[in-house]
Amino acid sequence: MSRADKIREALAQSHGAHWHPTDAYSRAVWLGVGLVAAGLFLHQAELVLFGVPLVLSVLLTHKPKGTPTVSVRPVPRGAGAGVVHTVAHVDGADAEIAVVKLPGGVKAVPAHSPDLPVEVRRDAWGPGVDLRLDHLFAGPDGLHVYGPVVGVEHARTILPPVDHHPAGPLPPRPGGLVGSHRSPRPGDSTELRDIRAFQPGDRLRRIDWRVTTRTGTVHVRERHAESDAEVVLALDTRVDVSADVAEWSSPHRGATTRPDGSLDRAVRHAASMAAGYLRQGDRVALTDLSRPQLNVRSGVGRRQLMRIRTQLVVCVQAAGWASTVALRKLPHGAVVVLLSPFLDDQIAELAVQARKHGHVVLAVDTLPLPLRPDPETPWGEVAAELIAAEHRLRLRRMAEHGVRVTAGC
Amino acid sequence: MRLAIVLAALPVAAVLYLEARSVVPLVVVAALTALTALMPGSAGAALLIGYAAVTTAFADGPPVRLGVLLLIPALHLIHVTSALAAVVPLKTKIEPAAVKAPARRFAIVQLISFGVAAFAAVVPGGTSIGVVEVLGLGALTVVIGVVALRI
Repeated sequence: MSRADKIREALAQSHGAHWHPTDAYSRAVWLGVGLVAAGLFLHQAELVLFGVPLVLSVLLTHKPKGTPTVSVRPVPRGAGAGVVHTVAHVDGADAEIAVVKLPGGVKAVPAHSPDLPVEVRRDAWGPGVDLRLDHLFAGPDGLHVYGPVVGVEHARTILPPVDHHPAGPLPPRPGGLVGSHRSPRPGDSTELRDIRAFQPGDRLRRIDWRVTTRTGTVHVRERHAESDAEVVLALDTRVDVSADVAEWSSPHRGATTRPDGSLDRAVRHAASMAAGYLRQGDRVALTDLSRPQLNVRSGVGRRQLMRIRTQLVVCVQAAGWASTVALRKLPHGAVVVLLSPFLDDQIAELAVQARKHGHVVLAVDTLPLPLRPDPETPWGEVAAELIAAEHRLRLRRMAEHGVRVTAGC
Repeated sequence: MRLAIVLAALPVAAVLYLEARSVVPLVVVAALTALTALMPGSAGAALLIGYAAVTTAFADGPPVRLGVLLLIPALHLIHVTSALAAVVPLKTKIEPAAVKAPARRFAIVQLISFGVAAFAAVVPGGTSIGVVEVLGLGALTVVIGVVALRI
């Protein structure tokens, strides 16, 4: 074994998940014995008296055995934002003191204390780590320690929140047979569509007796069908910008998106709109404009809402600049909800093209306004005003082409 | 815990100052205390205990005097508090129950240490039997040490 290996092994032995002596142990042994020996040979009783407590502190303690652990009752992965409570169980084995890094700060407790209450704060949606209880156990007088041990990470994914607001009126999907929107096709709703002459196959209960008596020929009342609409939520994940223009070029750390940034707003709007339309029976699909492989096909029901919210988190995790944006395989007559900060002409052109293809396009502007200019540069105010002016112009152009533009939903 | 180190070092500084009537021990003790409080896992505590022990041992006066009796628990307290502070990160919330066992052990050790000090005080001093006195205390400690190693 080389000298480097020996040093490496010695360093490994001095920490980690096993019991090992501390510097205090070495101090007690060497200084205690040294003082007693020095007192003995130098005929100084004081040195002996000072050395005795150190020797005794070693004598009265022993090297702990066993494997102490800290376990935590897992919290549900899919639970929403807010404060979640759980407990950490400390099994100290032979240890005397447990030092546990809790979310509220480091705490030193007796190694055999009852379960520790743990408060987990979930402030932002998206993936993250709920808990990681790093810990260390100390033997008597801190002469031996076990650890420090890096705790097990308890990961969680918080789905984007859903704000309840009514979904707007939508045109019907021509192929649909059920739903809450009036279809141009005949069906079984209560709304009258036409009164016409009886044809083979018509139901007898549809006969309008009043008109039949007046005209002398059998007439039936025809009603509209109720159909569902198809909504495509198109998310622009290429940029995530906040109101501070100075922060646009710097990466954001600590959360999945910038708080109240354009992507955060887009995702919240998308989740809320999906919930609103799915609640009234419409079909909702999700499209990532720059990453079509992350698209969610249209569907209905609560499971579709969960699928869309989960995929929104995936889209945000994969967010980043892409050179092209595209709306592919749009169902005929679908309503396209475009969620973007509209900072480039490409996305505005895409909205106009979708409108020209006959779709109803709703552009939800997610740019946080007003923009705050960069105070560190004399051109900051001019740049912010230029960006805002271009943005306004882009929205106006889209509106001129029949795209409905809104800042919220 | 780091505050406890500083508090334990105060009587040490006072005793050394009163025995030496000089500022030098104060400066040395202050520096070593600061080192120990900032880095409890360092050699600061060992240097502080060693310096105080050697300075007191070679000062004038009988072996068992008030200064020595004050330093026995103070130096032991510096050892214990720095040992615990080394395993507890800064700004740790320490539950009083966590230091109950160390406090009890400290009291037991001090009881025995003062018993040894009483024995040392009872044994008559002098040039002829001083060697016997020190040898007796040393032998006692060696016996205890051997037992400790067996455990």
